[in-house]
Amino acid sequence: MSNLLEIKNIFKNYHTKKGEIEAIKGISFNIKKGEIISIVGPSGCGKSTLLSIISGLDKNYSGSILKDDNLKIAYMLQSDALLPWLTIYENAILGLKLKKMINKKTLEYVDYLFDFYKLNEFKHTYPKYLSGGMKQRVALIRTLALKPDLLLLDEPFSALDQQSRLLISDDVYKIAKKENKTVILVTHNIEEAVSFSDKVIVLSKRPSEIKNIVTINFINQESIYERRKDVNYHNYFDIIWKDLDIDES
Amino acid sequence: MSLEQKKYLKKRRLNKIKVLVCQIILLLGFLIIWEILVNKGVISSFIYSSPSRIYKTIIELINNNNFFIHIYITLKEVFISFILGISLGFVIALILYEFKFLAKVIDPFLTMLNSLPKVALGPLIIIACGANIKSIILMALLINLIVCIITIYNGFLGVDEYILKLFKTLGASKYQILTQLVIPSSYQTIIASFKLCVAQTLIGVIMGEFLVSKQGIGYLIVYGKQVFNLNYVMTGIILLGIISYILYRLIIILENKLLKHL
Repeated sequence: MSNLLEIKNIFKNYHTKKGEIEAIKGISFNIKKGEIISIVGPSGCGKSTLLSIISGLDKNYSGSILKDDNLKIAYMLQSDALLPWLTIYENAILGLKLKKMINKKTLEYVDYLFDFYKLNEFKHTYPKYLSGGMKQRVALIRTLALKPDLLLLDEPFSALDQQSRLLISDDVYKIAKKENKTVILVTHNIEEAVSFSDKVIVLSKRPSEIKNIVTINFINQESIYERRKDVNYHNYFDIIWKDLDIDES
Repeated sequence: MSLEQKKYLKKRRLNKIKVLVCQIILLLGFLIIWEILVNKGVISSFIYSSPSRIYKTIIELINNNNFFIHIYITLKEVFISFILGISLGFVIALILYEFKFLAKVIDPFLTMLNSLPKVALGPLIIIACGANIKSIILMALLINLIVCIITIYNGFLGVDEYILKLFKTLGASKYQILTQLVIPSSYQTIIASFKLCVAQTLIGVIMGEFLVSKQGIGYLIVYGKQVFNLNYVMTGIILLGIISYILYRLIIILENKLLKHL
C-alpha cells in the first residue's frame, strides 16, 4: 500500500511579544490509505497545531508534506460548531454549500446519512433542541457529506459525556473502516487512542518530538467495544502511559 | 395535561397577574398622591403641575390641533435618526471588522468621541446646518452612532472561534464568512444595539429640539419653560416616558420574533 500522506521534518515556532517558542521540533511520519492514526501528547504540546499544518490551514512552518493535490480533507473540531440560526439539515449541508457541491448525488448521500444516524425526525429543528451527542453526530454528517479521503479529528469527542463519547467514536470508527477512510485523531485520552486506532503516535511535551509510534493489533476489530475487550488492551495502555511520562511537577 | 401541570400553569398565570396589578397600583397611586398633594397645596401646582392639569393640557393641545403634530414630528425625527444610526453603525462596524488596522488606528478617536458631551457641539451644528430638522437629526446621530458602531463591532468580534475555524477548514471565502457567519451570528448584538440606540436617539432628538425647533415634544417643553406654563413641560415629560416605553416594547417584540431559535 502506498502512502497517502508523507510528513517530513516539520518544525514550527511561535512568535510572541515575550519571545520565540519552539512548538514542533522535527516530526516525520507516513500515513497509508485506510489507516486510523491517533496522536496523543500532553496538553499544549502542539497536537492541534500539527493537525492545522496537515490540513493546510496553517502555512507557517518548515518541512514538507507530500500529498495528492486532489486529496479531499475534512476537519472535525472539539465543538460541534453548529450554527444556531440554521436548521439541523441546513447545518448538515453547510460544507457542501460553501464548497458549491450541492447536487442530487451529494444530497442523496446526506439523506442516507440522516437515515443511518436516525436523525431524520430532527432535520427541521434547530441545534438548541438536540443533545450534545446528537449535535456532534450532525457535525459528523456535515463532515462526511463532503466524502473526504482524509478525516482530521481534533478532539471531537472531548466535550461529550462518556456514553455519547463511546457511541460517537464507534460511529466514526465504523464508517471509517467501512468506507476505507484515512483518519488522524488528536486526543489526550489514551483509552480513546488505543480503542480507536491502528497506530498511536506519542508526542513529547513542548517542543514536541515523536517519542514513540505504537502499532495496535487486536484480534476482533469490529467495533471499539470489541477492541476494548482485547487481552492486550491494557498492555497498549501501559506502554503509551509510560511513554507519555506525564510529569506532575 | 396532568393536574400538576395545570397547577403549575395556573401559578405562573397568577404570578403574572400579581405583577401587573402591583404595577397598576403603583402607577395609579403615584398619580393620585401627586394630585392630592397639589390640591392640598403641599407642593406647588405651578411647578409640579398635576395629573388633572396635564389631562387638561392634552385636551387643549388636541383642540388646538397641536397635540398629534408634536408627537408626529418627534417620532419622525426619532425614526429617521434611528434608521440612520443603525445602518451607518452597521456599515462602519463592518468596515472596521474587515480592516482591523483601521480599527486600531481610530480606536482612541472613537473613545474620545464617545465620551465627548455632544451637546457642546450644538452651536456648531446649528450654524453649519441651519435651524431645521437637519440639525436635530445630526445631533441625534452624533449621540447614537458611536454607541451603535461600538456594540455592533464588538458583536462581530464575538464570533465563535470554532465556527470560524470550521468555515476556514471548509475553504470559505471572505465574503462567505461575512455573509453566512459574521453577520448572522451578530443578530443578537445587533438587536441589543437597537435598544441602546433607541434610548440614545431619544436623548439626541430632544436635545436637538431644545436647540432648534418649531414643533415636537422637545419644543413643547422649551416653550412651556419660556411662557412659564409648566403644565406643558410636565405633559412633554409624560409623553416622552410613554413614547420611550412603547419604542422599547416594540424592539422587544421584534427581538422575540427574530431570535426565536437562538
